[in-house]
Amino acid sequence: MPIHDQGYRRYGGIRTGIGRAWQVMTRAGIMNVIAKRQFLALMLFAWAPFVVRAVQIYVSATFQQASFLAPKGETFREFLDQQGAFVFFVTIYVGAGLIANDRRANALQLYLSKPMTSAEYIAGKLAILFLFLVSVTFLPAMMLLLTQAIFAGSLTFVANNLYLLPAITLFSLAQVLLASTTMLALSSLSKSSRFVAVMYAGLFFFTSALFNALRGITGRSSFAWLSPSAALEQLGDVIFRLPPRYQLAPSLAGLMVLALIGASLFILSRRVRGVEIVT
Amino acid sequence: MSFWQASRRVFDLSLGEMLWSRRTIFMALVVGGPVLLAVIVKVVELFGMSALRVNGQRVAGFGVFGVMIWMLFLRFIVPVLGVFYGTALMADEVEDKTITYLFTRPIPRGAVLVGKYLAYLACTGLVVLPSVMIVYFLLVPPAAIAGSFVALVTDLGLLGLGLAVYGAVFAFVGAYFKRPLVIGLLFAFGWEQVVLALPGYLKQFTIAFYLQSLVPHAMPSDGVASILQGMFRESPPIGVALAWLLAYLVVFLYMATRVVERKEYVLEQ
Repeated sequence: MPIHDQGYRRYGGIRTGIGRAWQVMTRAGIMNVIAKRQFLALMLFAWAPFVVRAVQIYVSATFQQASFLAPKGETFREFLDQQGAFVFFVTIYVGAGLIANDRRANALQLYLSKPMTSAEYIAGKLAILFLFLVSVTFLPAMMLLLTQAIFAGSLTFVANNLYLLPAITLFSLAQVLLASTTMLALSSLSKSSRFVAVMYAGLFFFTSALFNALRGITGRSSFAWLSPSAALEQLGDVIFRLPPRYQLAPSLAGLMVLALIGASLFILSRRVRGVEIVT
Repeated sequence: MSFWQASRRVFDLSLGEMLWSRRTIFMALVVGGPVLLAVIVKVVELFGMSALRVNGQRVAGFGVFGVMIWMLFLRFIVPVLGVFYGTALMADEVEDKTITYLFTRPIPRGAVLVGKYLAYLACTGLVVLPSVMIVYFLLVPPAAIAGSFVALVTDLGLLGLGLAVYGAVFAFVGAYFKRPLVIGLLFAFGWEQVVLALPGYLKQFTIAFYLQSLVPHAMPSDGVASILQGMFRESPPIGVALAWLLAYLVVFLYMATRVVERKEYVLEQ
C-alpha cells in the first residue's frame, strides 16, 4: 500500500474575520454543558425560587387578604440575594474546567495557533459562564418584574419603581462579572478543575469566615471589604436604594469588586498565552 | 498481604504524596489565615489598641480563640478540608489514570482507600492541629492557660474527630459519585447550613449538629443564619453525639471501601 506524502494544501474553507472566532468556542461550550442532565437539574433547581416568588405575586394580586405578600423593591433585592447560592454552584459546575481542562490537555496552544487572539479565547470562555449566570440572575429577576405587571394587570408598580430596571441590570452584572472573571482567572492557574473548584470555594467561604470572625471579635462590620460576597451585598443594598447592611463605605465596596474583577482580568491576560518558539 | 498491612503500605506511599503537593500549599494558606489573624490581634493588643472591644467591653483572649474555633475552624476549615481531600482520595487516581497501577497490586482494593484515608488524617492533622495550638498560644494570655487547657484539648479532639468524620463521608462521596466535589460542597455548605437553621429532626442528618454540640465555647452570632441556628440549636448528650459521629465514621468508611471494591472505574480516553 503506497504511503502518500501529505504536504502543504491550500485552505479551502471560508475565512471568518478576526473577532468572531470566539463564538464557535462559546457555542460548543454551551452545548457541552447543556448536554449534562445533572446541570439541567441544577438549572431547574435554580429557577425554583422564581416559581415561588411568582406564586407569591399571583396570590397577592388575586386575594385581597394576602396583599401583605405584594412585592416591593426589596423583594427583587432579596431574590437576587437568594440566587447567590445558585450563582456559586453554577460557577463551580460550568467554570472550573473552562481553562483548566484546556491546559491539562495542552489545547491552549492549539487554540491560539488558530486565527484567534488570546482576548478572543478569554471572551469565548467568559461568554459561556456569563450566559449561564445571567440565566439564573438577570433573566429570572426581569421575568419576575414582568410577571408582576402581568398579574397586576397594570404597569403601575413598574412605573413607581422604575429604578428597578437599572438596579437589577447593574447588580446582576456585578454579581455575574465578579463570579465569572474570578473563576476564569482561577481556572487559568491550574490544570485540575477540582483544584480550581476548591480554590474558588476557599476564596468564597474563607473570606466570608474571616470577615465573620473579625466581626465576632471586634463587633464591627467595617471589615466587609475582606469578603467579596459581603462587598457585593453592600453594593447591592446601595444599588437597590436600601440602607447598607455593613459599616463599610459603599465606594470601598465598589472598589473592592472592581479591583477583584481587574485583578482577575490581569491574571487571565498573563496566563492565557501561546507558546513562542524562538529559534 | 493482610488488609491492614496493605493499608499501611498505601498509607506510606500516600502520605509523602499528600504532604509534598500543592494541596499542602492550599491547606497551609487556609490554616495560615487564623494564625495571621491571631498575630494581628496580638500585635494590636501589644500596642494597647482597642481592637478587642465589643460594645466598649474588653473581650478576653480565650473568648477570641473560641470565636476563631467556631467561625474559622469548625464552620470552614474542617468541612472544606474534608471535601477537598476526602473527595480526592479516589477521584485523583481516576483523573490521573493511575488507579490501574494500584488495583493491579496484590492487595485488597478496599485497603487502597483505607490507606489513603489514614494518610489524609495524618496530613490534615499535622497541619491543622499545630495551627490551632499556635493560635491558642498567641491569643490566650499565659495566666489563663492553666484554666483553659482542658478546653483546648477538647477543641483539638473535636477538630480531629471532625476531620475524621467529614473525611469518611466525603471519601464515600468521592468513591461513589462522578462529580464528587459539587456534591460535597452542596452537602457541607448547602444542606448542613440550611438544615441547622430549621426546627425538627432534619438536623440530625448532619455532622455539624453533633460536632457543634461538643464545642466548649459559646456560639457566636454573626448574621441571620447564625441567629436562626442558635434559636433551633439543641444539644444532644455528649455520649449520644460521640456515638453518632463514630457511627457516621464507621458506616461511611465501610461503605466507601465496599464501593471501591465493587465499582468498575472507567478511565476517560
